[in-house]
Amino acid sequence: MKTKPGFMLRSVGGRNVVVAIGQASLEFNGMITLNETGAFIWKMLQTGCSYDELIDAIKKEYDATEEDIKTGVDALLAQMREANLLEE
Amino acid sequence: MYKIAGVVVDMNPKYPRVTKQSEAYKTDDTKPDIHITMPEEFIAERQKENPHLSLDECEYIWTGSAFYNLLPEFGGFLLHSSAVVYENKAYLFTAPSGTGKSTHTQLWLKNFEGSYILNDDKPAIKLEDGNVLAYGTPFSGKTDWNVNKRVPLQAICILGRGEKNEIEKVPPEEALFVILDQTCRPYDADKMDKLLTILDKVISEVPVYRLKCNMEDEAAFISYNAMK
Repeated sequence: MKTKPGFMLRSVGGRNVVVAIGQASLEFNGMITLNETGAFIWKMLQTGCSYDELIDAIKKEYDATEEDIKTGVDALLAQMREANLLEE
Repeated sequence: MYKIAGVVVDMNPKYPRVTKQSEAYKTDDTKPDIHITMPEEFIAERQKENPHLSLDECEYIWTGSAFYNLLPEFGGFLLHSSAVVYENKAYLFTAPSGTGKSTHTQLWLKNFEGSYILNDDKPAIKLEDGNVLAYGTPFSGKTDWNVNKRVPLQAICILGRGEKNEIEKVPPEEALFVILDQTCRPYDADKMDKLLTILDKVISEVPVYRLKCNMEDEAAFISYNAMK
């Protein structure tokens, strides 16, 4: 899985935001705000990773059950798919 | 040469509007930071594409555009807003066209002696030595209400219509969303990166409010008292 090209993650005003540039900006003129975990997930997806790699990395970084992690990740991935931000 | 928002511009306007509105921005500086070239053929082509505009208006719009596209390189950006100054502080009211920005800032002029319009359509916001400043520029939309001055930016206010006058602060992500919507959004990564770096500083230092207002004098007092 990978984020589609043309999205930039930056810290602005203390928040993690994602904006579209180039081609992507012609279709997406919104803005995404991510919390810390969301930004962590986004960064991994920017380089590209599998679902399991993602879950493992989060387990190492954060203190939470696998179940809770999967729930959070699944929710974010669903939103990203719906907004057409993900390449499988 | 002209000096606009602290940037030395080498440009040679041919038509009356840019010529007249840039008069106050002339400078003795000899080293330009940027060059803006608007060949007559270019202006003529734009006018053909936009028959409702005159050649004069085309030069005005495209020169302004060229300037604002380059401004982030110098730590600044435009905000589509009406900027009013009172007590040497600038307050920028931003909203899509037709919402009532100018109507509201006119209420300030009416009620606050000594207040004036810095730029009624596209003031520049710029970072200089760690400070956030608002600048007048020659490009002020439909009117020529602009002053070549530089004033500390006190607050940005997102304006909307309402029956009652109310104002509240907004969180950074909401502020950023509106600001991105009311500035020229860069297409390429490099420019976007520069703009976001500037916005990071601006949003961290300058409070952003959302005002719902009607056209009564009270609206000006509500907004001023909350933001001063």
